[in-house]
Amino acid sequence: MTKYVYYPGCTLYTKARSLDQCARKAAEKVGFELTEMPSWNCCGAIYNATNDDLAAQVGSVRNLAKASQIGNKLVTLCAACHNVLKRVQNRLDAPGNEVQSERLKTFVDEEFVQPVRVLHYLEVLKQDIGFEAIKSKVVKPLAKLKVASYYGCLMVRPREVLEFDDPENPRVMDDLMRVLGAEPTRFDFKAECCGGYLVVNRRDVAKGASQKILDNAKEWGAEAIVTTCPLCQYNLDKLRATTDGCLPVFYFTQLLGVAVGLGQGELGLDHNSGDPVGFLKSKGLL
Amino acid sequence: MDEAVNRQEKQRPRTGVFVCHCGINIAGTVKIPEVLERVGEMPGVAVTKDYKYCCSDPGQQMIRDSIKSDNLGRVVVACCSPTLHETTFRNACAEAGLNPYQCEIANIREQCAWVTEDKDKATEKATEIIRTTKAKVENDVPLEAITVPINKRALVIGAGIAGIQAALDIANAGFEVVLVEKEPSIGGHMAQLSETFPTLDCSQCILTPRTVETGRHPKIKLMTYSEVDGVSGYVGNFKVKIRQKARYVDFKTCTGCGACLEKCPGRTESRFERGLTKGKAIYRLLPQAVPNKPVIDAEACIYLQKGKCGNCAKVCPTGAIRYDDTDKYVEEEVGAIVLATGYELFDAARLGSYGFGLVPDVIDGLAFERLLSASGPTSGEVKRPSDGKVPKKVVFVQCAGSRDSTNGVPYCSKICCMYTAKQAILYKHRVHDGEATICYIDVRTPGKGFEEFYKRATDDGVTYIRGKPSKIFRRGDKTVVWAADTLAGRKVELEADLVVLATAVVANPDGVALARKLKTQIDAHGFMTEAHPKLRPVETLTAGYFLAGCGQGPKDIPETVAQASAAAAKVLAMFGNTRLTHSPTTAQVDEEICVGCGYCERTCAYEAVKVDPAKKKAVVNAALCEGCGACAVACPSGAMTHKNATKKAIFEMADSF
Repeated sequence: MTKYVYYPGCTLYTKARSLDQCARKAAEKVGFELTEMPSWNCCGAIYNATNDDLAAQVGSVRNLAKASQIGNKLVTLCAACHNVLKRVQNRLDAPGNEVQSERLKTFVDEEFVQPVRVLHYLEVLKQDIGFEAIKSKVVKPLAKLKVASYYGCLMVRPREVLEFDDPENPRVMDDLMRVLGAEPTRFDFKAECCGGYLVVNRRDVAKGASQKILDNAKEWGAEAIVTTCPLCQYNLDKLRATTDGCLPVFYFTQLLGVAVGLGQGELGLDHNSGDPVGFLKSKGLL
Repeated sequence: MDEAVNRQEKQRPRTGVFVCHCGINIAGTVKIPEVLERVGEMPGVAVTKDYKYCCSDPGQQMIRDSIKSDNLGRVVVACCSPTLHETTFRNACAEAGLNPYQCEIANIREQCAWVTEDKDKATEKATEIIRTTKAKVENDVPLEAITVPINKRALVIGAGIAGIQAALDIANAGFEVVLVEKEPSIGGHMAQLSETFPTLDCSQCILTPRTVETGRHPKIKLMTYSEVDGVSGYVGNFKVKIRQKARYVDFKTCTGCGACLEKCPGRTESRFERGLTKGKAIYRLLPQAVPNKPVIDAEACIYLQKGKCGNCAKVCPTGAIRYDDTDKYVEEEVGAIVLATGYELFDAARLGSYGFGLVPDVIDGLAFERLLSASGPTSGEVKRPSDGKVPKKVVFVQCAGSRDSTNGVPYCSKICCMYTAKQAILYKHRVHDGEATICYIDVRTPGKGFEEFYKRATDDGVTYIRGKPSKIFRRGDKTVVWAADTLAGRKVELEADLVVLATAVVANPDGVALARKLKTQIDAHGFMTEAHPKLRPVETLTAGYFLAGCGQGPKDIPETVAQASAAAAKVLAMFGNTRLTHSPTTAQVDEEICVGCGYCERTCAYEAVKVDPAKKKAVVNAALCEGCGACAVACPSGAMTHKNATKKAIFEMADSF
């Protein structure tokens, strides 16, 4: 079983525990193992990059250096962590950026043993495991559940650095959902802003942004939304909690977990608002 | 002085070196007086002169006079690239009695003056370029041009309006034309259009007389549903291999009655109707097609896929259906080839944020032409694809893909501003209470009557909003466009019933593949490259190939027709000669040395060298040889040499440096 160094990040220990739990267990089911790196620290996403670009990077430099002592591929799940780590990795490795790269490395005590590539969990599934192989591991197909895949901004942009998918029309999660037996719906707002941190001080703006996304998903007949970002999940799910008739918002790892046969207790559904258990039961998935 | 050296100096030909200033192109960087002084000291240089524009009449006269008065045996002209003026100066030398192949060009413009700003280094380099060229010219022997007969028959590839125009012009001058079209009938994209800007005359009305004339012309051999598979030979004497695709309908027996079309149950996406309606497995592009005989799309045909149905064969009154038809190959011999391969529209689905292929009421410009066209799927009534309702608010989006390097289309597609204005005007004519809004970046109207036409659109009540939309998506039965009004400085949300994308014009992928096969040059975007952007706009660098229409770059109908007539004129100018001259600077074999190993034959890209199996010696077909020199390099025994670029000449060039 291939082993990967795994960086969960703070949110996956708190609000987004279900994203983390399902991911670790589902990984074992589909054939790889996540080894959490010891004493990881903040990725740097909490620093405002326009105020302090350096502080936002140094945290990730240390994480990458520590990861390099265990392996050469570092797997992430949280869209924000992934974005920051990937961008820092890109800065360290970019040709012609050697001077800045060395300077950044002097801020941390840890030594780089080898170059580290930051991979999102979805990239591992697609590139290393392969969707066809995952298909063979599906024990509970998602019964044509109509799912809108929501990527948000951090997974796909900037395109040149993230190299993840088409930023205007990403498809990776849609393809995964299809493999799991769901029916990915058309969806115009895959990569529109959910409102992000504005939920803290401009709740009205965040709500408006999320509302548009949910409305469009419903427009295309979606029964549920999947996402990979804890903040997107929070914003969309929060709206669901306060508005009638909103769609359930799952982490993609939760639906992956359902499909590969994780038990109800392993899915972390108590973190989702509304009645996710009832919803999945109504679809014959629990 | 040593006597042997003295004798060598006496035998050394007298070389004249003429340095051109090219205005300030060369003289602005290269210090000409210094070059003249240093070149004048080189052994064998009898005279050095300079002039502001050597290619001008006084410049050429200076060279001619000097050849005579200074008794020159060789000439070096230090100027621009030989692709521009080698012929000019060689002709000038010939007029003065010097063999033209004893004149060489030292390129001190593109390869020296233009690539540096360092005047000292440029001067140094120019001197050395002249020095090595002088070493070459001293080795040049007099040569006679090869002449070959011309096959005065032309091939035109592509029968859109460009190919049709070129074919008619050549045929009407009395020469035979083979016109090859990959679709079952001719007319190209113009047959899909409704009315044409800026005069609003109906596309069909101006096109059909041409298609009919083409179809009936005694001098035009029309080969539809056919593709050029390969071309061998050389200018004046090409051999063309053409694949006639299986039609499954016997062309001679079919009367074009159309009975089969009614009974066919096979369904497929209609490319001609841009997916607005389903096509049938047996089809013709339009009722007025030339030739008006259907073909069967094998992939959609139930009989050819499953062996059942056979309706068309049952109803055909003349028994023309041939389910066992196969592709056939034919060969044609021609002297000139016009490439009129045309364009395609950029795949708007690549614009992820515009919803094309996702939101049903987002269509491209050609689809809207079909909606406007009287012969289209709605007989000219504007009805939107999702529910067939008449759209009361249409938003047109210009530059959908164009002028955006992130899509690989950094260029302007040139026709969209005008056809969008036209479509908006026509829409307003059809739907009187309808609203037409155009989102644009710039409106470009550089053509005769174009600005007036744009004014007419605004006078007719079309709303122009300056700003590129960021997002197009569905809300209920509406299609929403998020845009910006950059003149008012605010965001706008437009709720439309139908959105039309003016998608970028891209080179036809089949044309790109053909250009690669024929080894004619294409640019970074797949458009075929002309020999000179200003002075040789319809020729290519491969002799005998000419360009017409959008295969060379985006253009509208008048410009396409003008270019096609120009290409035809170039073909006719060629056909006005009895023989064509071919450069004699080709490969040659020393049969004494050649052992017939065949390395040269395998190396040659032009099929110009063959090993004679009886003699076991390589033979060069001088008419095919392009003089690239590859065989001379490959030859292990040194039997193959290149005329006027012998090993001796090249080593002396290297030694002189």
